[in-house]
Amino acid sequence: MGQPLDTTAIGGCNPEAAICTREVTRDFRAGQQTITVLHGIDLDIRAGELTFLVGESGSGKTTLISIMCGILWPTLGEVKVFGTDIYELGDTELVEFRLNNIGFIFQQYNLIPSIDAANNAAVPLIAQGMDRIEAREKAVAMLEKLNIGDQASKLPSQLSGGQQQRVAIARALVHEPRLVVCDEPTAALDATSGRRVMDLLREVAVAEDRACIIVTHDNRIFDLADRILVLEDGKITHDGKDMPEGH
Amino acid sequence: MLWIAIRMLTGDAQKFYGLVFGIAFSTLLITQQLTIFVNLIERGASGTYNVSNADIWVMDPVSRTTDVAYAMPATALDKVRSVPGVEWAVPHLRSQASVRTKDGDLEGVAVIGVDDATLIGLPKRMLEGSPDVLSQPDSVIIDDVGMTRMFPDGSPIGERLELNDQRAVIRGIADAIPSFTSTVVLYTKYSQALNYVPGTRNRLSFVLVGAEEPAQAKALSERIERETGLKAQTRDEFAQDGIDFIIENTGIPLNFGITVALGFIVGVAIVGLTFSLFIRDNIKQFGALKAIGVTNAKIRRMVAVQAGLVGLTGYGLGVLGTVIFIWSFSADPTFKGFYIPWQIPLISALAVFVILALTGWLALRNVLKTEPASVFR
Amino acid sequence: MALDWKNLSFSRQILPIIAVIGLIAAAAFILAGLPDRELSEPEREPPRAPEALANEARVAGSGVVEPSSETIQIGSALSGLITDLLVQPGDRVGEGQVLFTVDDRAARAQLREANAAIAEARASIAEARTAQATAARQLTLYRNVDDPAAVSRSEVIRAEGEASAARERRKLAEARLQAAQARAGSAQTEIGRLTVRAPIAGEILAVNIRKGEYVSTMGGGSQPFIEMGQTQPLHVRIDIDEEQAPRVALGAPATVSPRGAADRQVEAVFVRAEPLVVPKRSLTNSAAERVDVRVLQVIYQLPETEGLFRVGQQVDAYIAARGSDQ
Repeated sequence: MGQPLDTTAIGGCNPEAAICTREVTRDFRAGQQTITVLHGIDLDIRAGELTFLVGESGSGKTTLISIMCGILWPTLGEVKVFGTDIYELGDTELVEFRLNNIGFIFQQYNLIPSIDAANNAAVPLIAQGMDRIEAREKAVAMLEKLNIGDQASKLPSQLSGGQQQRVAIARALVHEPRLVVCDEPTAALDATSGRRVMDLLREVAVAEDRACIIVTHDNRIFDLADRILVLEDGKITHDGKDMPEGH
Repeated sequence: MLWIAIRMLTGDAQKFYGLVFGIAFSTLLITQQLTIFVNLIERGASGTYNVSNADIWVMDPVSRTTDVAYAMPATALDKVRSVPGVEWAVPHLRSQASVRTKDGDLEGVAVIGVDDATLIGLPKRMLEGSPDVLSQPDSVIIDDVGMTRMFPDGSPIGERLELNDQRAVIRGIADAIPSFTSTVVLYTKYSQALNYVPGTRNRLSFVLVGAEEPAQAKALSERIERETGLKAQTRDEFAQDGIDFIIENTGIPLNFGITVALGFIVGVAIVGLTFSLFIRDNIKQFGALKAIGVTNAKIRRMVAVQAGLVGLTGYGLGVLGTVIFIWSFSADPTFKGFYIPWQIPLISALAVFVILALTGWLALRNVLKTEPASVFR
Repeated sequence: MALDWKNLSFSRQILPIIAVIGLIAAAAFILAGLPDRELSEPEREPPRAPEALANEARVAGSGVVEPSSETIQIGSALSGLITDLLVQPGDRVGEGQVLFTVDDRAARAQLREANAAIAEARASIAEARTAQATAARQLTLYRNVDDPAAVSRSEVIRAEGEASAARERRKLAEARLQAAQARAGSAQTEIGRLTVRAPIAGEILAVNIRKGEYVSTMGGGSQPFIEMGQTQPLHVRIDIDEEQAPRVALGAPATVSPRGAADRQVEAVFVRAEPLVVPKRSLTNSAAERVDVRVLQVIYQLPETEGLFRVGQQVDAYIAARGSDQ
């Protein structure tokens, strides 16, 4: 499945970088036409920072984040996550790499409605093969850290949006991944809740050797970023602490 | 992960019970209909199975079943006895007769004449009385179907019948499996049966044979055919002949086949639709799981466990339902001797497996096709 | 899945457990309900081929026990009332022993009549002799008288006539005597014929007449008066289907068992095969039956058994087939 990589075109990666992409290109076929969504993205994401990936719909930011966390193959290019060339891994190895190294926070949370908050948060541990009881204990501890320990036994449908978001965050962090990927974490929340969630993320996610990428176009929270990457038409057009003018 | 799969399944009670109901209903329909079907057509073999001693039945080459038989000359018995490997052979007479009851009603009966000396040809068990009563003059033994049909109000023991103008006294009740037509059966001695049945040239319907080595009955039956020119069938073959006769001459297989097929289709439809609805509802969760790091193999196992739980529960309830059905009707004489052949629950288990494999595979295809990347959209 | 009793779920735990218990119960019900189709040994011993012939070529037949003399149906030469019956069934009789007598009063009356005639004839003879002697003496007297005038010629002729008449009377009386004697002999024979005697030594098998009954020589009565036969030894007459007949090893012994006691087999010695192949007499069927099967009848002699076989009993027999001993 792995696409042949043109290694001659790739420059060396900084070993300090959490994520390093070189010449990442992605084409989609739409009938007879081939649409290139990403045009040779070179990026280094550092650990210990909140990195925002900002872009309009269709700018390719979903594709880029998918490629960076190992769920979408690039057409060309190389992606290294903590020094591992993830698209050189086999299918199963890649799945296990994700399981052990990446925490996901989805925009719609995608919690399992028929199991309670603690069990939802424990899913990555269970998937790793941990005993159910032990996994639940750890998940409850994580929920307590996120101040919703008292909601551990409630079903997702009994929780408010913000509480569900916290459960999702707990799920993303419970197995202590080195990379956390958040897709629009604040889109469904009001400004206050959104900021609180961002504070939380900063607090728990950004630690030594842990990288956090947040995909968003919520301008209310741009000021919380350590680094903002702007993607336009498949190219990085801005890379800095603040948003450029006009956005 | 698997318990999560089960939680996901049972979390949606409506669909879970829909699935269980679908499987249970299919199982019930298939198992129950097949059971009735098998038992009905096996009624064609009851005449053979009621005789518990004979390894081989010898008959005229044109005879087909216990009830469709052409009589042989009396010397056929000696011919059969002359064949090496025949341990013993006794005459057996089966014929139709009319009987006039005490009330003056006319009833068609089957008269079965069993060997005078050994009484080989009687059913294994007696409900009342002993086989020895046949040594008394004009004795007959009635089967339990006949008892319920002709004497619904009381014991038939001691009742007098008029059988082709001859006197017959019922002195015993045999515990026999009724025939397909539930004809009243009167057992009597061979010599007595000759008196009861209107005279034709030949009377000997069958020769019942015991083999020296019952395990080699098939070879012996072929030897009997070769040496006597008569038709010899082992017990199982002859039972099958009776069943085939019913299959060929009635619409039963078609009717039951349709019902069984309906059960299967209903099962596929209910279970298939519900299962794919369930999977579609959960496709996002499955996608999230895949993104988080659950392999396709594990997803397959999860769906398999879900199908397995539905299958086990539904199948168990369906089989239980069938058993309760058969059990609750076992007292009815129409259902006498009905049993569930052990193969039938296996067949319905296979049907359930096919239904679930089919629908599970269709549902899984959707899950496996789901790009993990879709969770970001 | 560990059971959590505090948090027992109906659909997740109770229902599947019900289903599993139901399955186990159903399996038990199904296994217990399977029909009993086991073959069983017959409770009473059916006739089996003897062990020596179990897997050999053989011929089976059925037959009837009969006396070695065959059954003799005793009849009567003359009709009449039975005046004396001297035997009952089961009696052993010697040759010539009186079985029964028929009313002989008429014959005895004839005998007495004949005897009277004999006496009368004898008296006539005596009288004729006396007359003849008297006439002869007179004639001699006349002949010795020389004087022709002393005796008239007519006197002589008369005396000659008397002598001749007396001779003729004697001859007549002698003939009457013979006739009467013949009548007496005939009456005597008649009386003998009214006494029925056993033609051979043997056993009385059946007596179908009582004292005082009328026996007729005209037929009509279907039963024989007395049946007897030599029952030491007994014979069996085995019917063998004509199709099987060529296979029988004639001369070989037969294994015979009576109906109803199939476990008591005896070996019977070959006597002869009947030269005539006859229609099968069906022993169980009504007389009106038409038969198209013919049988060869082979006679075997039964060994001495204590009442196991009786005349008229049906038996099953197994005989070695030709060539089976090689």
